[in-house]
Amino acid sequence: MSKASLAKPRARKSPPGHYLLRLFMAGNGSNSQKALANLHRLCQEHLEGRYTIETVDVVQDFEAAVRDNILVTPALILVAPLPRVVVLGNLSDAPTVLAALRVSEGNHE
Amino acid sequence: MRGKRQPIPKVLTKIAGLDEILEGGLPRGRTTVVSGGPGSGKTVLGLEFLCRGAMAGEPGVFVTFEERAEAIRLNASAMGWDLAALEKAGKIAIIEARLPGEEIVSGDFDIQGLLAIVDGHVKRIGARQIVMDALDVLLRIYDDFKHERNELSRLHDWLTDRGLTSVLSVKTRHDDNQGSQYEFLDFMADCVIRLDHRVLGQVATRRLRVIKYRGSGFGTNEYPYVFGERGIVLFPLTTAELTHQPLGTKVSTGLKGLDLMLEGGFRRASCVLISGNSGTGKTTLASTFARAACQRGERVLYLNFEESKEAMISGMLSPGIDLRPSLDDKTLLVQTAMPESTGSDNHLNRVMETIASFKPDHLILDAVSACVRMGSKQAAFDFMMRLVSVVKEHGITSILTNQISSGVANSDEELSGIGFSSVVDAVVQLRFVETDEELIRQMLVVKSRGSAHSSRRQSYVITDRGIEFPDTPHPPPGRAGKVRRKDGGK
Repeated sequence: MSKASLAKPRARKSPPGHYLLRLFMAGNGSNSQKALANLHRLCQEHLEGRYTIETVDVVQDFEAAVRDNILVTPALILVAPLPRVVVLGNLSDAPTVLAALRVSEGNHE
Repeated sequence: MRGKRQPIPKVLTKIAGLDEILEGGLPRGRTTVVSGGPGSGKTVLGLEFLCRGAMAGEPGVFVTFEERAEAIRLNASAMGWDLAALEKAGKIAIIEARLPGEEIVSGDFDIQGLLAIVDGHVKRIGARQIVMDALDVLLRIYDDFKHERNELSRLHDWLTDRGLTSVLSVKTRHDDNQGSQYEFLDFMADCVIRLDHRVLGQVATRRLRVIKYRGSGFGTNEYPYVFGERGIVLFPLTTAELTHQPLGTKVSTGLKGLDLMLEGGFRRASCVLISGNSGTGKTTLASTFARAACQRGERVLYLNFEESKEAMISGMLSPGIDLRPSLDDKTLLVQTAMPESTGSDNHLNRVMETIASFKPDHLILDAVSACVRMGSKQAAFDFMMRLVSVVKEHGITSILTNQISSGVANSDEELSGIGFSSVVDAVVQLRFVETDEELIRQMLVVKSRGSAHSSRRQSYVITDRGIEFPDTPHPPPGRAGKVRRKDGGK
């Protein structure tokens, strides 16, 4: 478990090659918890040392959901590097998630 | 009204005609599903419900899954509702819940995000009613039925828990035989309304039907509706609940001779059919009535589907009927229209609007036979049934002319062409009779409900002083002896 910050440095510029991931969750619903666990595992396995995860609880902060137009949870937004990508679901399907995040399964770019 | 059952709490939609069909409005704190094809007016219905509520001080949330909020505002302003002002006043919140469209799916998800957003807005403005427009668009993200069903249940429970009066609209495809697609939604909802947009005889018509209403009665027919200037207008015609005024006192026909035959004239609030071949003087007779009524200071609305106002006014000058003074003093209003210019529902709406503003004592429709050109016999029938029904409810006399093509018609059915004899109270038949020397016109009162009438054919002529009877017409037979006579006997 590493750099899960609670959604503060939003507009920060990430260094090149750094992944900024924003996970929208709904309280401690089971899918949301699964998604968080899955995301941590995937990042540790494939993006060690170059990712940041922000979590947003839509129940606490619906304005954030409005801003990012998030209707279903859990939902993961790849904020950086661009282009932005949205992945819905509990992220149980690792190959799909990695492909969406443009991370090759063989590791490191 | 009547037929009291255990009354369930309801919310008025304030949409013209809909609350009558729903016997008091939508179920309060419960879910209503509105489904229909593209262009059937689902969005407008939801929007109108919300706007009318908001204008009356009841805040509401509008969630749009398809159109942009700006498009919704535009839509509303076309109907005269200022959404932006209502939003500003905290009476309406619009939530643009448009899916990005290119999202990738991995594993299970749910609509908690949406519910959180909606919840935020509901709390912010204190909403008690909500419209979710084009829910089908949201449902597209589910690829399996069970998942979709679970989410719908979740949504439904969520709405019900909060006591929100909800309208969920879904688009059905044209080829869908209505119902199969969102069967679960129909099952779940307390009230289900279907909108149907179809083309009948080349004219687009819209119909609304209530499929179910848990715990409440409702009008079970298909009801035509149009988009009026101020929203949706429905025409409920519940024949089971005829609230027509009883036929009123006698009103002169404008012709002494015909008054004699009818024992004083037509009855007020009755429906009179003047039928005859071309050239027998139907318009002349109707205009005679109109002129006389206007001279007494009564108001006459003359609907002419046959010719222009100018043509009609100048045409009536030759038999000596000058309608111009009546137009000038505004006791006469002539409204003309090409029957084929629009659908019968729009014609009806236009007439209704005129009746509401002009408040006529009498209405003349010239001619029934032209109404078929509104699309179909059925369309003409609907138009007239509804028109006559409304007119009767308002205690307005209606005079309908009908041109029959050939020969002599024997029954009301044939006379009116489209069989609505039940609403016709009196029939005056005009016809030509050929003798060796000349063509003679004859007038016959075929029926006159609630009144005695002569059953003799009476010859008449049309001169530059109007319709005249060379021989004084016979009054009804047996005035002293009370001879009983069946209506429409000839």
